Amino acid sequence: MGLRVDGLRKQFGEVRALDGVTFAVERGEVFGFLGANGAGKTTTMRIVLGLLQADEGSSSWEDRPNYTWPRRTWGYLPEERGLYARMPVVDQLVFFASLYGIPRSRARREALAWLARFRIPEYADRRADSLSKGNQQKVQFIATILHDPDVLLMDEPFSGLDPVNVALLKAAFLEMRDRGKTLVFSTHQLDMAEELCDSVAIIDRGRLVTAGTTREVKRSTGHQVVRLATSGDGDLGWLRALPSVTVTRPGRDFTELHVDDGSDPQRILRAALEHGDEVFRFEVVDPSLEEVFVERVGALDTEERTLAASEAMA
Amino acid sequence: MSTVSNIAAIARREATVRVRTRSFIVGTLLLVLGTVAIAMVPVVVQYVEGHVNQKVLVYVSAPGLKADPVPTLQTLLNARPATGDGSSAGVTDPFSVTAVTDLAAARASVVDGQANSVLAVERAPGGDLAFTLYTNDSAGGSSSQLIQQAATAIAVADRLDRLGVAPADQATLFSPPAYAIAWPDPARTEPTQGSAELGSSYLLGFGMTILIFMMIILYGNWVAMSVVEEKSSRVMEVILNAATPFQLLAGKVLGVGTAALVQYLFILAAGAVALLLQGRVADLVLGQDGGVALPEGLTVPLLILFCVYGVLGFLLYAVLYAAAGSLVSRQEDISSAVMPMTLVTMAGYFVAVYSSTGLLDIRSGWIEVLSLIPFFSPFIMLGRVMAGGAAVWEVLASIAILVLSIGAALWLAARVYAAGVLLYGQRPGWRAVWRIVRAHG
Repeated sequence: MGLRVDGLRKQFGEVRALDGVTFAVERGEVFGFLGANGAGKTTTMRIVLGLLQADEGSSSWEDRPNYTWPRRTWGYLPEERGLYARMPVVDQLVFFASLYGIPRSRARREALAWLARFRIPEYADRRADSLSKGNQQKVQFIATILHDPDVLLMDEPFSGLDPVNVALLKAAFLEMRDRGKTLVFSTHQLDMAEELCDSVAIIDRGRLVTAGTTREVKRSTGHQVVRLATSGDGDLGWLRALPSVTVTRPGRDFTELHVDDGSDPQRILRAALEHGDEVFRFEVVDPSLEEVFVERVGALDTEERTLAASEAMA
Repeated sequence: MSTVSNIAAIARREATVRVRTRSFIVGTLLLVLGTVAIAMVPVVVQYVEGHVNQKVLVYVSAPGLKADPVPTLQTLLNARPATGDGSSAGVTDPFSVTAVTDLAAARASVVDGQANSVLAVERAPGGDLAFTLYTNDSAGGSSSQLIQQAATAIAVADRLDRLGVAPADQATLFSPPAYAIAWPDPARTEPTQGSAELGSSYLLGFGMTILIFMMIILYGNWVAMSVVEEKSSRVMEVILNAATPFQLLAGKVLGVGTAALVQYLFILAAGAVALLLQGRVADLVLGQDGGVALPEGLTVPLLILFCVYGVLGFLLYAVLYAAAGSLVSRQEDISSAVMPMTLVTMAGYFVAVYSSTGLLDIRSGWIEVLSLIPFFSPFIMLGRVMAGGAAVWEVLASIAILVLSIGAALWLAARVYAAGVLLYGQRPGWRAVWRIVRAHG
């Protein structure tokens, strides 16, 4: 059930864009698709939507192959803004919705309501190219959801938005989830994924690194994070002597350590008290997605590794 | 959503957006002005013809010349070919002939520009008449030639006179003999075309060929530009989720076609109004019934054929323009992508123009073959129909072939388009395009 992506492979000329990508998104979930530029996120989404054909593998929604569902099942927000530059905003929203069979009057009414909600009602009759990038992105989001799709696939929806617009868009995401929609979005912003996602998948150079619920993925590192602040900061010798403990960030206000799974973190609190220090802070948390990412993939590289050139040769 | 409603929605957007652009409005205005100007050409030509007056001075110093050459010249120079419809009635004579006695003064007045030429008629030592034309006009010009012909007639009359032939007999001597023009092919029985008829059907064929050529090149480029616009703005990805490449392609071609039709209706309406008002304008300008008529040979079946070939030719080329546009990502690359279509249209256009103007024999076998080939038939078949050389089955066959090839082009273009629209970056070569077509087949 839900969205299943199974063993996708795709080759563009010499470049292996996808090499066995498998993950599952449950119905009604918010799913984060994490990876650097060129990791294969866009290619995966295009295959799920049927815009591209996979060399191998399949994808299904509610146990039926994706292509057997009507087009209005899917809402797609591409990475680059896709609006007619010289067409009034509301006209193109109505046009997009009409392609999915939504009556024009209803599409117009709902488009205007969304524009008002996104605080840009005055732009309804302006040309799209007169809007700022952030406002264009909000229009693009309206275009994605106006036909009331069951599954939203959004490629980097938060890129280029200021904090106010990020908050507006997040609220819209959560409302969509509450309406029972399934949301899949790709992002570099791991804190955003951590905040919004029930499940995530990390992809690197066409290979799936890990996938699962956000908690599972965070715990897939095999350790927990302990943050400790004591009166004896600076003298960490006793900490380093403890088994299954790695000091990752010795700091002035607190020290961060990894405790391997199977070892009780409370041991550290006891050891601190035994050492005779006063404990000001003791915190046990799962590693952040950012830590998981850095550990499993390496530092998030922001360099463009676009597939465009190799796609053109295919 | 259903294919038909999606195609309609795409075509509707394409047409409404396009007719609102400034370039469309300005272009339509210019074309309307051009059409009105062209429609008024006959009035202008008549006006110019009716008002140019050549002043010819005649100096006679020929003893023994019986008839006064001045009225003879006046009649001969202003003689018109008998048109039978009285269209020349009321138009002032192009030449006015005056006798002078002072040759030097007459030459001076030509130098001043008060007269156009002086014709001196003298008696040569051998007894024959000798003529000298003093003029700034070129010796080969039509005025000089007309004057020379008139001079020859006067000299011949003078010789006959000196030989003792009575003037009454001279009239019979000069009356034109029976003279007919016939087809070399004994099988052809239709009447041969007079020069006036030939001229107007040549103009008509030329005009229609230009209109079809413009339609294909101009509106074909619109289609390609619109595809590239959607691609470069990445709207393509959004619409491809909603509509199939085939729907996009068909909608786009029909939408641009609708906008093109709107523009053409304006042009045709302007042309029709101008032609209808031509008589009134002529009356105003020329001060009397100018006798300007519609181009001969413009019949309703011919107009219908023109529309059929125009629309079908546009559709065939437009789907290919769309496919070519889908292969490039930037507006600058369009012209090189559509080059094959441009070359083929140019070839068809030139063959049509050369054969309708008689530079190529429109009855030769290879032109008959070309007129059946879909990429050329919109240009060439009309010319053949106007020249009266096309059988009905040939016209019907060329239309049927055209329709079938539009289907084939649509099939091919939809495949290229489906793969092309998601390609960004360098334009793929022909071999890559062929692979794409096969892979999607």
